[in-house]
Amino acid sequence: MSEFEPKIVAFVCNWCTYAGADLTGTSRIKYAANVKIIRFPCTGRIDFMLLMKAFQNGADGIIVSGCHPNDCHYSSGNFHAKRRWMAFRELLDYMGVDVERITFSWVSAAEGARWAEIVNTTTEKLRKLGPYTNYQNLVKSGIEEEL
Amino acid sequence: MARIGVFICHCGENISATVDVVKVAEEIGKLKGVAHSVEYKYMCSDPGQNLVIEAIKEKKLTGVVVAACSPRMHEPTFRKACENAGLNPFLCEMANLREHCSWVHERNDTTTEKAIDIVRTLVAKVQRNAALQPIKVPVTKKALVIGGGVAGIQAALDIANCGHKVILVERSPSIGGHMAQLSETFPTLDCSQCILTPRMVEVAQHPNITLYTYAEVEGLEGFIGNFKVKIRKKSKSLDEKLCTGCGLCTTKCPQKKIPSEFEQGLGLRRAIYVPFPQAVPNKPVIDKENCTYYKTGKCKVCEVVCPTKAIRFDQPDEIIEESIGAIVLATGFEVKRSDFFPEYGHGKYKDVIDGLQFERLASASGPTQGVIRRPSDNEIPKRIAFIACAGSRDPAKGIEYCSRICCMYTAKHAMLYKHKVHEGDAYVYYMDIRAAGKNYEEFVRRAIEEDHVHYVRSRVSTIIERNGKYILKVADTLLGAQPQEVEFDMVVLATAGIASPGAENLAQTLHVSYDQHKFFAEAHPKLRPVETNTAGIFLAGACQTTRDIPDSVSMASGAAVKVAGLFSQTELTRDPLIAQVNRLGPPLYSTCVGCFMCQPVCPYQAIEREEIKSRDGKVIKVLAKINEGLCQGCGTCIALCRSKSIDIHGYTNQQVYSEVVALFNEF
Amino acid sequence: MESIRKRAKELLDSKQVQVIIGYENGTSNKVRASFIKDSAQVDKLIYDERCTQNLALYLVKHEVKHLGKMGIVATIPAMRTINMLISEEQVKPENIVVLGIGEDGKLLDFPDLTVMESFLQKANIELTAKDKEAIEKLKKMTTQEKFDYWSNALETCFKCYACRSACPLCYCTRCAVECNQPQWIPVQASKNGNYEWHMLRAMHLSGRCVSCGDCGRACPLDIPVHLLTMHMAEESKRLFGVDSGLSMKMESVLSNYKLDDKDNFIL
Repeated sequence: MSEFEPKIVAFVCNWCTYAGADLTGTSRIKYAANVKIIRFPCTGRIDFMLLMKAFQNGADGIIVSGCHPNDCHYSSGNFHAKRRWMAFRELLDYMGVDVERITFSWVSAAEGARWAEIVNTTTEKLRKLGPYTNYQNLVKSGIEEEL
Repeated sequence: MARIGVFICHCGENISATVDVVKVAEEIGKLKGVAHSVEYKYMCSDPGQNLVIEAIKEKKLTGVVVAACSPRMHEPTFRKACENAGLNPFLCEMANLREHCSWVHERNDTTTEKAIDIVRTLVAKVQRNAALQPIKVPVTKKALVIGGGVAGIQAALDIANCGHKVILVERSPSIGGHMAQLSETFPTLDCSQCILTPRMVEVAQHPNITLYTYAEVEGLEGFIGNFKVKIRKKSKSLDEKLCTGCGLCTTKCPQKKIPSEFEQGLGLRRAIYVPFPQAVPNKPVIDKENCTYYKTGKCKVCEVVCPTKAIRFDQPDEIIEESIGAIVLATGFEVKRSDFFPEYGHGKYKDVIDGLQFERLASASGPTQGVIRRPSDNEIPKRIAFIACAGSRDPAKGIEYCSRICCMYTAKHAMLYKHKVHEGDAYVYYMDIRAAGKNYEEFVRRAIEEDHVHYVRSRVSTIIERNGKYILKVADTLLGAQPQEVEFDMVVLATAGIASPGAENLAQTLHVSYDQHKFFAEAHPKLRPVETNTAGIFLAGACQTTRDIPDSVSMASGAAVKVAGLFSQTELTRDPLIAQVNRLGPPLYSTCVGCFMCQPVCPYQAIEREEIKSRDGKVIKVLAKINEGLCQGCGTCIALCRSKSIDIHGYTNQQVYSEVVALFNEF
Repeated sequence: MESIRKRAKELLDSKQVQVIIGYENGTSNKVRASFIKDSAQVDKLIYDERCTQNLALYLVKHEVKHLGKMGIVATIPAMRTINMLISEEQVKPENIVVLGIGEDGKLLDFPDLTVMESFLQKANIELTAKDKEAIEKLKKMTTQEKFDYWSNALETCFKCYACRSACPLCYCTRCAVECNQPQWIPVQASKNGNYEWHMLRAMHLSGRCVSCGDCGRACPLDIPVHLLTMHMAEESKRLFGVDSGLSMKMESVLSNYKLDDKDNFIL
C-alpha cells in the first residue's frame, strides 16, 4: 500500500508568505506537492470559518502563514490575526478539533527556504497523523442519513 | 453562464518540463464554465498576449485565467491585455504554476495534478470576480507643512516652487528650528545662520506660502487629496498688520529675566520678545505666563511705547480651517536634557552643558558673542571635555539607537573650541567614531591631526565637581583601560537626539504611526522612507529619526516631490480592491448593526460612521462606511465582521470560499 | 422586592423612564419578563431566586427601545451585558437606568452608570462551581473524547436558534448563519452543520460573552451550549486579561491587540 498523502491547503498573505513561496520557486528549492496555496491580501483577511470550510471539503491539514510581527504590509493585520488564532485555536481544541493539523507560521518574503521547510515538516506530520476521518465522518453523517 | 478562457503557459520549459501542460489544458477544458483552454510556449510574449486578446473577442469570454508565473510578476501585463481586448481587467486572474509548482516539484503525475488543482481554484474564483472600475478621488492642490525647521522650510519652498500653495505651520514664534541655533555647520564650517536666513526670508516672501507661526495643528479629518485641517493660531497679543517690527517694546518690557529658549537658557529674554534677531516673522509675541499684565493686570508698558498701537491684550486664539491635499511632517527632534544624566551632574553643575548650549556659546550672535565662556563664572575654559554618546546607544537609558549627528558635531565643537581658544586642550571621550558621509571622516581627521583634539576611547562613568573644576572618571580602553581621574574646566555632553515633545499627540491627531521612541514611522524602511502609512502624509527631516542637515534637506525635497507628484493629477486613481459595507433598502439599510468593532481594527482609520436619517432628519440607524480614499484593502475588518456585512473587492467571501471548495472538488 | 417596586414607581412617576423591564409571575410557577409602563402596575414586579433571565436582552429590541428611556432590573450578568451593549453602541447610556440586584438579592443604588461600573469592578464574576467543573472536566478529555462529546451533544440540535434568541449579545439583524452567499454553515441540522454553527457562535461571542448562561437555559434539548461561550470568556481572561462587560468602554478583544500577545504555537 502506498503511503498516505495528505491534502493540505495554505492560506497565505500576499506580501510576505506568498512572496516567500515565490522565492522558494525562484531558488528552485523542492518541497512536497501536497500543499496548495490560496492567496489573501493579509492574514487579517483570513476568516476563521474558512479553516473549517477547508476541513469540511476534505483538507487533512492547513497552513496559515503571513508576515512576521511588525512586518505586516498593512502594519497590524498580522497582530489581529494572531489574536484571532489564539482564541480560535483554544475553541478548536475545546471542541475536539485536532489543532495539530493546523500549522500557523510567519514566513517573510526573504524566507524561501523556510517556506519549503514548513511545508515539508507539516506534510510529514500529517502523513503520520493520517487522513482527518473524524471530520470527514462528521461531514458525511448527515448526508448519509438523508440518503 | 460563465465563459472562462484559460491560458496555460509553458514558460519556455520552465513549466512544461515538470508539468504536463497539455493534460492541464485538457482537464481544465472539461470544467463547467470553461469555454476555452489552450497552452502556449510564452504567454507573456506579444503573440501569447494576442492569443488572449483574440480569444476574448472571438469567444466572448467573461473571464480569463492565465496559468503561468506568479501574479506578482505578470498580473499587470495580462490585466492590461484583457483591457485592450475590451474585458474588464479585474476579470483576469493568474494561476501560479511556475514559482508554486513547476519550480518546486519533480516531473510526475502528482505535480501535474497539483497544477490542475491550482488552475481549477482560480477558474472557480474568476467566475465570481466582478468588473471593477478604478476609484477616482479629487485632489486639493494645497499642501500643509508642519514644522518650520530646515526640513519644513525646504519642503515648503520646493512645493511652492512647483506652483502649488503651501501652508507652513510652526509652533514657536519664528521659523528656523534648531538650525537657526547652530553656530557653524560640519563638515564645511560655514555659518549656519548665513545659509539658513535667506531661505527663511524666501519663505516669508513667497507668494505661494502662507506662514502661520505660534500655531499648532489641532485636528485633521479626511483622506489623501481631501484633508481638512484645523490650526490653532495662538494669540501673540499683537496686531501683526500694524506691527512694524521696530522692537521698541522688547527693550522696554520690565520682565527681563526670563531664560531664553532660543539661547538654551544661557541668555535672557523679556516677556514680549522676538526669539532671535533674524527671526521670521520679525515681530514679537507676548509670553503670557511671564507677562506682568497677564499675571497681575497691571503694566502695559509695551502698549504705551508701541508707536503703531499694535498691542492687543484681549486678542483670542484664532482657529483656522483649511482644505489641503497633502501633508509634510517636519517637526524635527529635541535633545535630552538635565536630569537624564545624574551621573554627569547635568542640570546641577553649571558648566556641564549639552551640545545645543555649546552651539549658542560658539555662535557669534550668542549670549557670549561667540567667546567660549563657562556659564558659572564667565571664565574661558582652558581644558574642555566632550562626551559623545551621552544617552545614545545606551539601552540602560532606554535609547538603543545611535543619534547619528553627535560624532560629527562633537568633532566640530572641539574644532571650534580650538579655533577660539588656541592654548586650550580639548578632549573627546567616545565609544566609536561614526563619520559616514561626504567629507565627514576627513573632517574628524582634521580635528585630530590639524587641530590636535585628543580623542580618547572611553566611557565616562561619573563627573564630580571639585573647587570649580570637574573631575571625570575615565578609562582609556585602547591603553589598557586603567581608571583615571581627569580634571576639566567645562564639559559638553553630546546628548541623545529624541523625538520632539508632542510628537506622539500629533501622530494621534493625524493618525500616523510612530515607533517606540515616538519618532514617526515610515511606510517602508527602505522603499518608502518619506511616506507614512497614512496615504497623503509624508515625512521630512529629524521627525522620522535624528539626522543631519544635508539628510534632512534631501528628505524634505523627496517629500516635496511626493507631494508635487500627487498634485500633478487632478484626480487620484486607485485600485478598487477595497472593502465595502453592504447597503440595502429600508427598513434594514444594511446588515451592519453598527457595533463598530471593526473601527479599531482598521490601520488606516478608513471606517467611518454614516447616519441614516429619516425625512425629518431623525437618525434611524448608524452604519459603518468605508472611506474609499483611505482603505488600502487589507481585509482585516471583513474577517472580523460577525454579520458578514463587509466584503472586499478582489477577495470577496464568495471568491475565497469558492476557491477553498474548488481546491478539493471538481465541478 | 418592595424596594424594587418603590424605585420603579419613582422612576415612572418622575418620568425618568418610560418603561421598567423586570420580572413578573408567569404561568405554572415560572417567572417571565415584565414591561411596566404605568406606575399603577409596579406591584406586578417580583424578584426571587427564580429570576435568572438576563433582561438586558430586551434593551436592544425595537418594541421596547422605542418606548423611550428604560429602567431595567439587572443582575450582575445583565449589568455586564449593559456595559457590553454600550461599548458596542447598541444602546445609549443616557437611555438606561439600572435597578441593580446584588449577589444577596438586594436592590443596589446606582444614581448613574459609573457607579455600576465601580460596583462591577469589585463584584464576584466567577462562573458557578457547576459550570466551572463542567468546563474543567471537558478540558481534561483527550481530543478524540472532546470531539465525540461535542459532535454527539450537538447532534440533537435542530437549529431552533433559541440559544441565539436568548443571548443579549446576539443582536445582529442578519446572523452569519443566515448568510447564503456563500453558505458558511451547512443549512441542514446535520452533525456537521450543528457543530460549525455552535463553533461560529462561540467564536463570535469570544471576548464578549458575559457568562449569563441564558443560551444553555434556553435550549429545549438541554444541550450545554453555554459551556462553549463560557469557555471562550475564560480564555479571553486567560489569554488577553479581559473580563467582558466591566466598563462602558470595553475594548473589543478581537479587534485590538497588544504587541506582547503571547502565543506558543506560531512557527
